[in-house]
Amino acid sequence: MCGVSGIIYKNAGSDGPGPVGADLVKMLDSLAHRGRDSTGVTVVGEDTDEDLLVRVWTEHESEADTVLERAADAVRASGGVVRRRDRVGAFIRLAVDYDDDVAKLAQALLDTEGVDLHSIGRASEVVKDVGTASDVDGRHAVGQLRGTHGIGHVRMATESIVDINHAHPFWAYPFPDVTVVHNGQLTNYHSLKRAYEDRGHRFQTGNDSELIAVYLAEKLAEGATLERALHESLDDLDGTFTYLVSTRNGVGCAKDQWSAKPLVTMETDDVVAIASEETALRSVFSDEIDRIEPQQGEVMTWSV
Amino acid sequence: MVRLDAAELSDRELNGRLKELAADGAEVTVVNPQARHNMAVGILDPFDLHIEGSVGYYSASLLDGPRVTIDGNAGWALGENLMSGSVKVAKDAGASVGASMRGGEVVVGGNAGARAGISMKGGTLVVGGDAGFLTGFMMQKGTIVVCGDVGDAVGDSMYEGVIYVGGRIGSLGNDAKTEEVPEEELIALWDALEQHGIDEKPHFTKVVSAKKLYHLDSLERLEMTAV
Repeated sequence: MCGVSGIIYKNAGSDGPGPVGADLVKMLDSLAHRGRDSTGVTVVGEDTDEDLLVRVWTEHESEADTVLERAADAVRASGGVVRRRDRVGAFIRLAVDYDDDVAKLAQALLDTEGVDLHSIGRASEVVKDVGTASDVDGRHAVGQLRGTHGIGHVRMATESIVDINHAHPFWAYPFPDVTVVHNGQLTNYHSLKRAYEDRGHRFQTGNDSELIAVYLAEKLAEGATLERALHESLDDLDGTFTYLVSTRNGVGCAKDQWSAKPLVTMETDDVVAIASEETALRSVFSDEIDRIEPQQGEVMTWSV
Repeated sequence: MVRLDAAELSDRELNGRLKELAADGAEVTVVNPQARHNMAVGILDPFDLHIEGSVGYYSASLLDGPRVTIDGNAGWALGENLMSGSVKVAKDAGASVGASMRGGEVVVGGNAGARAGISMKGGTLVVGGDAGFLTGFMMQKGTIVVCGDVGDAVGDSMYEGVIYVGGRIGSLGNDAKTEEVPEEELIALWDALEQHGIDEKPHFTKVVSAKKLYHLDSLERLEMTAV
């Protein structure tokens, strides 16, 4: 069991960014009973032109300063300029000027000793850590992050180990801004993973949800619309799943053919909230608003 | 009338208070449910309970006697294992509404999710709107009435019981078949719906077990005395 949530400020373009981080923390706290192993969010903010936001974690906090230097060197060696660097414990955030192929930079970072890459985005970043939403907010000030949209997850691990790298969201290495949160289990994970690896793809974890992110990002890169990619995933992915995907421009969800995992949504003229349970939606909507429950094999998308 | 503020009570405290009040036959209103799980569970005395707002998973389940009304939505497995009494939700219910119920009535004013009436063993489940995938999955007895459409695999592997569908049927499940509804049965259904405040008069189709998967020839002990 896990809990997923998402929030979209539909008019952020004209009204300015919304309290995406604070909303996600509220929703994920009210889903704490669905998983206490780890919590994570993707917050998609204002477009940062050609700049990239890079989120890195390193296993040993005592070496984090050294790893930060190595990561900055890798950016420079790839032709980028590090404009800003921040570190909270073992978590490193770099804002980078870079206009070359993101895959080249991602590979250089992944080849850097001590670097575990959590996300690269033009407008988005992944913050994930062990513990509940309140714990993670306390450590990383997630509640202060503003943006146009975002997704979040509380995890009760079933298919792979509990550590920071296996917390959701999973970023679709090496495609910028595509991240996934997932509640469920893929039963054709290993055969699909081998097929991707045969084509040269590098997975960063042993978690089936990472594969969903890569699957969708590859479809999008080939020119598919988000809606089409989600529909095709219903045929290509086996198992029980309800997942949310966040891209630079919006959020989508897909529910498996068995309708095995819950999801409900509420929408006003300004905001869409999505969560595993209504109790999470109630934490951001106190008004009585109609609820929509996607059914089996259903796909929904929202754009900003 | 007694008014309880759910925001001031833990799940266990709320259910404990409701049990005491039910034993006294009180009339109770619960406010601020905030779609929390397990509200009004395990109460075995008849009493009138009204919940102002939405409830979460397994709410109004394991009941024998209470008459519950909820004016918002419900999460998964509303009214699970109901023995007698009634559970009415004004808006939508999540998946598995009325799961394993044995008696009484569960009424959903809006739509129901997947697996409505799964493994029902008696009683009546009424859905004013649409019901999802696998409605009546493995039902063994009782009646499901869906005024709107049902999703795929309706009545899959059902043993006994009847599912009436007012709208479109996505597809029939394994071993389910449709039958015409005789006129007097249709009129009786419309009258029953009217009593639940549903004025529509859909031309229902009946879904029953084709009994091709059916290998049970013994009756329950209670049924033997009835035969």
